[in-house]
Amino acid sequence: MGGRSAAVMAAAVGRVLRLCRRWGAGPGAQTLRLICTTTAVQRKNAGASGPEKYTEAFIKKQIEEFNLGKRHLANMMGEDPETFTQEDIDRAIAYLFPSGLFDKQARPLMKHPTEVFPEQRKIQWGEDGRPFHFLFYTGKQSYYSLMHETYEKLLNVQKHQDELIAQDLPLQKEKRNLAGSRWLTKIELEEMLVEKMSDDDYSRFIRLLEKLVALPCADLEEKYIQKFSKEVPAQLQKVLIEPLQYDERGVAFSTGEGRRKTASATAVVYDNGTGKITVNGIDILHYFPVLQDREQLLFPFQFLGRIGKHDMVCTVSGGGRSAQAGAIRLASAKALRSFVTEKEVEFMRQAGLLTVDPRVKERKKPGQEGPRRKFTWKKR
Amino acid sequence: MAAPSAAGLCRRLRAWLPRIMPVRWSRYNPSYLEPEVKTEAYQKPLEELTEEEKEQMELKAVRPIKAAPPTLSSSVFSDPMISKFTNMMMKSGNKVLARSLMSQTLEAIKRKQLEKYHKAPENEKETIECNPYVIFHQALKNCQPIIGLSSITRGGKTYQVPVPLTDNRKRFLAMKWMITECRENKHRRTMMPEKLSQELLLAFNNEGPIIKKKHVLHKMAESNRAYAHFRWW
Repeated sequence: MGGRSAAVMAAAVGRVLRLCRRWGAGPGAQTLRLICTTTAVQRKNAGASGPEKYTEAFIKKQIEEFNLGKRHLANMMGEDPETFTQEDIDRAIAYLFPSGLFDKQARPLMKHPTEVFPEQRKIQWGEDGRPFHFLFYTGKQSYYSLMHETYEKLLNVQKHQDELIAQDLPLQKEKRNLAGSRWLTKIELEEMLVEKMSDDDYSRFIRLLEKLVALPCADLEEKYIQKFSKEVPAQLQKVLIEPLQYDERGVAFSTGEGRRKTASATAVVYDNGTGKITVNGIDILHYFPVLQDREQLLFPFQFLGRIGKHDMVCTVSGGGRSAQAGAIRLASAKALRSFVTEKEVEFMRQAGLLTVDPRVKERKKPGQEGPRRKFTWKKR
Repeated sequence: MAAPSAAGLCRRLRAWLPRIMPVRWSRYNPSYLEPEVKTEAYQKPLEELTEEEKEQMELKAVRPIKAAPPTLSSSVFSDPMISKFTNMMMKSGNKVLARSLMSQTLEAIKRKQLEKYHKAPENEKETIECNPYVIFHQALKNCQPIIGLSSITRGGKTYQVPVPLTDNRKRFLAMKWMITECRENKHRRTMMPEKLSQELLLAFNNEGPIIKKKHVLHKMAESNRAYAHFRWW
C-alpha cells in the first residue's frame, strides 16, 4: 500500500515536472500542452467541454497538410494551384472517389480543417489551477460575461439619456430599419461564444438586447448591437406570375396548381364567365356536398370580389374531402394572380391564400399507439 | 415606460423564444405570421392607420404568412368564435354534424326571437334583438367568469386560490360550460339545437344555470380572498 502510493506520488511529481519544463520553455505561453493528464486537471469542470481533443499544433499540421494536398489535387486535375477553390476541390473529389453511399456525410470529403474540427476552447486555467476568467466558477463564463457587458451598455445609454433630459435636449429618435434584421439564433450565438447555453439563457439574453434597443438613445451602442443582429433579405423570392393565355374563342384563361396533404389539383380559370365551377367534370354542388368545402372554393373569388366574373374547370385527385378543397383553393388562387394587380396579389398572400399548407399527418412513433397517444398505462 | 413605437420595435425584432420547451410544435417556421382574412382590413387608406398598424403592415410585407385554415374564410358567415364553438361541440371529428347542429341552433334562435318580435307591442319592437350572431356573442360574453380558482397545495392542505384568468381561458370556460350544460341537463328526447338555443337566450338575458354557475364561482373566489397571497405568478 505504502509502496504503491509512493509510486503514484513519484509519477505525479514526474508529470508535474514535465509540465513545468514545458511551461518554462514556451515564451510567455499561458496555455499548457497537456500530453499527459495530472490528477489535478482530471477534476470535472463545467467550463471546458472536456480535455482538449485537438491541440493547436495538431490543427496547424492539418492545415498545412490540407494546403499541400490542395496543390497536389490541382496538379492532378491539371488546374492552376493558385486559383483552386473549395468548389473545385469538391468536384475533383467527387470525380476521383465516386461514392454511391446515401448519407452525404459518409462520402469522401476534403475541407479546410477549421470546418472539419469543431472550434473548442483552450484550457481556461493556469498552471497553478487558478482560472483566468473571474466568472469561471459560474460554469457559463462567456454567457455571464456577455450579460454583464450588455447590461453595462444599457446603463451607459440610460445615463446618457438622463444627461440629455437634465439639459432639456430632445432624445434622438431615429428609427432603425427593423423589418430587415433578426437576432442571431441560439446556435449562432453558441458558435460565437464557443459555449453551450440553455434555451432559457438565450431568451434572457434576447430580452435584454430588446430592452436595450427599445431605449430612445440606443444609437449610442449601435456597433455593439450590430454584432448580434443579422440582415434578413427584405425581398421575399419574387415569384414569376405567368401572363394570361388566350384560347380559340378569344377568352383569357390562366392555370394554377395546388397541393394539400395528399391531394393535388389543377385549376383553369376563364375570364368573362358566369361563376360556374366544375370539378372532374362534375358541378361543385354535387362533388362537394359540404358547405365548408364550397366556401373554401369560393374564398379566393370572394376575397377579390370577383364572384360571378370567372368560370373554373378543375381536376383533383388524392386526399380526402377537405384536402381536395384546400388543394383547389390554392390552385385557383395561383391562377387568379394573372388576372389581378400586384397589390392585390400581395393582399392575397397576406390573407394566407397563396401559402402551401405544410401540415401533414404526423407519423406513428414506436412504443406509442399513435403519433401522440401512448399505450394504456398498467400499474402491473 | 417605453414609447408605443419602441414597444412595436421590440415586437418586430423578437426571435422565437422558447420559454419552456413546447410540447406542441408547429409545422410552420416560427417566423410565419397569422393571416388576416377580412377584406375591410385591406381597404383602409394609408392615412387612417395608426403607428402600430403601420409597423404591423411593414412587418407583414417582409415575413412569410401561414396558410388560412379551412374553417376560416372571408365571407360574412365565417366567424372565428362560432368555428371555435363548433370544434368544441364536435365528437370524433364529425365536423359535418357539429356544423349542422350549430346552424340549426342559430336558426332556432332566430325563429324564437322573430316569434317574440311579432307578438310584441310596437314600442318594444326595437329592444328585441333578432340577429342570432349578436345573441351568441353577447350570451358567451355574459357567461365569462372574471376570476378563477386554482388549487395550490401548501403544507399538505390544498387551498382554492383566486386567480386572474386570461381572455382565452375565459372564453374557453364560457363555451365549455355551455356545452356541458346542454349535454347533461336535458331530457333524453330534446335535441341539442333546441336546448342550446334555449340556454343561449337565457344567458343573453343574464339568467339561466350557466350564469348561476359563474356567480357561484365568483362567490367562492370572494370567500377565499384570504388565500390570494398564495399565488406567486
